[in-house]
Amino acid sequence: MTLSLKDVYIVDGRRSPHAKAGTDLKDVAAPFLGAYLVRKILDATSIPSDEVDEVIIGNTGSPAKYPNVGRVIALEAGLHKKTSGYTVHRNCASGMEAISQAYMKIAAGRCDVIVAGGVESMSQMPLIYSKEMTDLFVNVMKARSFSDKVKALSAFRPPFLSPIIAIEQGLTDPFCGLNMGLTAELLAREFGITREEQDEYANKSHHKAVAAEAEGKFADEIVPLAYGSKLDKLLHKDVGPRGNSTVEGLAKMKPYFERKSGTVTVGNSCPITDGGSALLFCSEEAVKKYNLNPIARMVDFHFHGLEPERMGMGPLLAMDGLVKRTGVAISDCDLVEINEAFAAQLLGVQRGLRDKEIAARFDVDTVHGEIPEEKLNVNGGAIALGHPVGSTGSRLVVTLMHELKRRKADKGIASLCIGGGQGGACLIENLIK
Amino acid sequence: MSYEKIKFEIENKVAYVGFGYNCDKSMTVLDEKALTELRDIVEELHQKKKELDGVVFHSLKKNCFLAGADINLIASLKTENEGAHGAEQGQNIFNRIEDLPIPTVVCVDGVCLGGGMELSLSCNTIICSDNPKTQLGLPEVKLGLIPGFGGTYRMPRRVGLPTALDLILTGKGLNSRKAKRVGLVDEVYPKENLVKMAPKHFKGSKKKQGFKDTIEHLASDNFLSRKIIFQKARENVLKQTKGFYQAPLKILDVMEAGMMKGRSSYLASEAQAFGELCVGEQSKNLQHLFFLMENSKKYSGPASSGELPKLKRGAALGAGTMGGGIAWLMAESDMAPLMKDIGPEALDLGLKQSSSNFMGKVKRKRMTYEEFERKQRSITPQLDYSGFEKTDLVIEAVVENMDIKKSVFAETEKHVTESCLLTSNTSSLSVEEMSKALEKPGRFAGLHFFNPVHRMPLVEIITHSNIAPETIEALYNWCLKVKKTPVIVGDGPGFLVNRILMPYLNEAGYLLIEGVPMKELDEACLNFGMPMGPCRLLDEIGIDVAVKVAKIIHAGLGDRAESSDLSQQMVDKGFLGKKSGKGFYIYDEAGKPVGPNEEALAILGSARKKMSETDIQMRVFLPMINEASYILDDGIVKKPSDVDLGLIFGIGFPPFRGGLLRYADGEGLERIYKAIDKFASEVSANRYAPSPFLKKLVDDKKKFYDL
Repeated sequence: MTLSLKDVYIVDGRRSPHAKAGTDLKDVAAPFLGAYLVRKILDATSIPSDEVDEVIIGNTGSPAKYPNVGRVIALEAGLHKKTSGYTVHRNCASGMEAISQAYMKIAAGRCDVIVAGGVESMSQMPLIYSKEMTDLFVNVMKARSFSDKVKALSAFRPPFLSPIIAIEQGLTDPFCGLNMGLTAELLAREFGITREEQDEYANKSHHKAVAAEAEGKFADEIVPLAYGSKLDKLLHKDVGPRGNSTVEGLAKMKPYFERKSGTVTVGNSCPITDGGSALLFCSEEAVKKYNLNPIARMVDFHFHGLEPERMGMGPLLAMDGLVKRTGVAISDCDLVEINEAFAAQLLGVQRGLRDKEIAARFDVDTVHGEIPEEKLNVNGGAIALGHPVGSTGSRLVVTLMHELKRRKADKGIASLCIGGGQGGACLIENLIK
Repeated sequence: MSYEKIKFEIENKVAYVGFGYNCDKSMTVLDEKALTELRDIVEELHQKKKELDGVVFHSLKKNCFLAGADINLIASLKTENEGAHGAEQGQNIFNRIEDLPIPTVVCVDGVCLGGGMELSLSCNTIICSDNPKTQLGLPEVKLGLIPGFGGTYRMPRRVGLPTALDLILTGKGLNSRKAKRVGLVDEVYPKENLVKMAPKHFKGSKKKQGFKDTIEHLASDNFLSRKIIFQKARENVLKQTKGFYQAPLKILDVMEAGMMKGRSSYLASEAQAFGELCVGEQSKNLQHLFFLMENSKKYSGPASSGELPKLKRGAALGAGTMGGGIAWLMAESDMAPLMKDIGPEALDLGLKQSSSNFMGKVKRKRMTYEEFERKQRSITPQLDYSGFEKTDLVIEAVVENMDIKKSVFAETEKHVTESCLLTSNTSSLSVEEMSKALEKPGRFAGLHFFNPVHRMPLVEIITHSNIAPETIEALYNWCLKVKKTPVIVGDGPGFLVNRILMPYLNEAGYLLIEGVPMKELDEACLNFGMPMGPCRLLDEIGIDVAVKVAKIIHAGLGDRAESSDLSQQMVDKGFLGKKSGKGFYIYDEAGKPVGPNEEALAILGSARKKMSETDIQMRVFLPMINEASYILDDGIVKKPSDVDLGLIFGIGFPPFRGGLLRYADGEGLERIYKAIDKFASEVSANRYAPSPFLKKLVDDKKKFYDL
């Protein structure tokens, strides 16, 4: 018996403005980067607050205060207390994993209304006590007598106090031991991607993003967010894209990961960023019941693994799998959003798409063809906009659906590489033509 | 023996005394019957003391232990002696409780105020529940009284002199957490466990004194420091009440003089003071106000037949200072409001207003930062109408312009459901006229808040000819829910409060022109008990706004409402009041007045006129009474109590005077009529012509409150 899948509609999708970590949104805890989006999206529909089946949120930082961000968002958004909510983690693709689960649950007929998305407050990722220091605390607490306590305390050494930076540890692959930046360096070396190519790509990303903002293209997708310690200011646009960026300026930056001979700099990588995104998924029944006007239909998705040290090539494998699954060629798509974790990584994916030999190294037997510039990341990408890790997977879809709608175009793919050695991709179809 | 009002039972050698027995009111009070029964029960306890391990006082009523002595009982007291005697009777019962040789534990769940608190203080141990409704205190001072059942004697002995003075002189209530911290209660339990835990306190109820307590005790328990504490308290009272209120000063006298006295002679002086205060005019006025407030908690407007709309989700149209204040109020009461305006700057302004209202509470620890974040973020600032379909109550606060308001309502009506109530926070425009912009005017009303929204309790609900009674009732209940005091008023220039305020401000202008110095004018009004003199108030309102409203009222009411052109001249010179830094006074950056604005006073020329304080007061307050008579005559409000509530909660008319019309009644309407008539011939026939309504009252030898 084959499972017949139902159509899955994306009614709306919104995102927060992005802000480089440590800037405007630094005080906004993860749930608040998403909850207001959920409220805003649902307010624009006639769906009552007690008719949402699930809230699924991607998040990687898992703030200690909010272990299940998804549920917290459901409640903070004013949804009924009975609303189920949970959090998913697939590293950089957590947001895409969230929407994929929403897709599956609606396609399978289990749910009719799901809010899915992602949030990440990279500013609020903690510093952690080292294992030695933690053990010391435990031993002191366990010690009964005063002399035992003194004995336990005497084990203290000053280096115990040097903290583990959660964010740095999170961005280092636990299996191969490489920092994400070093995986990009590896691709650059292996495929001969030059510093100039990377800087040029990065520069374009900034200018595209700045132009899109100036043309008001982000107005449909960004919902202004209250920030500051008094929550009395509204952030309307992204903090990150630089209109004054130049290739020359980028060329002056020192390689950050492979300091002596590398090509990957902070300038041609995505900045760590705070942000959130959310989408409303509905079944056909719900669309009719609530008289909704969906922007898009989610056609399918695909995730794929590869060597962790070459994780940047993930989109190649994910998109290849998606094409095989759906029968829709990449060249048939009007727009493609690929996350710009690193310029080197994105350019690597382009090589894999056009070069049979490189594709073969990743067991991809099809030459899909390079994605032309006018279709790829047309409003800039993460190098300018930033990469709030848990959110990007869904943020790409938000950006994609609004641009497809604006162009009255048909199909688009959103894809991204995933730390740990995976790729994810999903295909959507615009319904407002 | 069986009792009707108090449940008395003995179980396992423990006597349980339960208040709120056979009580169908939401609050239990100690009325005459309950006090008699309590006296008998206490005597029974004395007889049975040998067979009992202890006594537990508790309540059968949800959320209320004892809300105090029956205020009707207090109101019925006629003479000082009667009052003092009443207090002594209560004191005697509580003394007998204190004298029981067996342990006594009181279990407080819910409200425990006044007489209830005093009863608790006479027990060995007070335990209370962590119910958020639990509140302990001695609020008698708010009624112009001294706690008369031993509260001023026992409170300092339980929590120390400084805390006791704070509680008794302000009348504030403490929640369970604070009550535990100051040592008023011995332990806090979940309410379900409270009575069960009580017998465990029979033994060892003497609590250990901590180091801090010992130090505090030493510091406050000697002659010199007590003297300093009392002196400081007296200074505070004078500062906060400007000396208008007798009760706190009396309380200080009794407590200070009684520090060295034994129980019986102390209590005699407390009872004596209670007797004096309870029949005094001030306390009677404050009791009057109490009853007005109690009555206003029940809707008494036109009866509704249909189901009342439920007002769960709100929206503020216009996000300025007022709109932000309204959004704050809605967010505070969990209505997750939308806040719409036409430009992003206004949205920021609205958010700032709301945030600063919340931050005040956060700073005073009335709210956690987390609660603030949740509520502040529940406001959705926006430039379009998305989500309006989900709102149940829209309050409009856009610019004060009839055409704009009408078009805003016509537009808004397209975006809301049929059951959504649409209201306008207009302060001066005709609600009747505005209602014409709506296709369904039945759901429309004026809802006039006073600025600043978070400080001013009054809301005028303004009706019009096509309003549905359900709209009025739903709005009335909503105002109560958000802890505001609603008054239902008919449409008319300036509605209720601004219309009565008009002569206060107008006459100020004329008096200044006549040569009465501004300082003397404002001080005369302050000395009457007003929170601000008319010139300061004009600065606060904004002189341009006042001119605009004055014109509307003048146009509507005719010559008696004509104002001098002083305000217009001020506006022409750019003296707009506090907001422009200069008005009648000059303001510093923080908005504090630093002195008179000599440039403005120069407009007045050099004429000087000496006028007695009473004469100044009569010049401004008499026309207010006159205008209030017109208002009653016009049917703008139904009852004199509406006028009094409106003025006390809308402009801070001195509460100890019981309201404008109660004040008039007290002075004698005939006297007032004659004085107004005299001004009509001596000052201005237009502005002081006595209202026919007032004349009729005088002719009929009636008072306002006889209506």
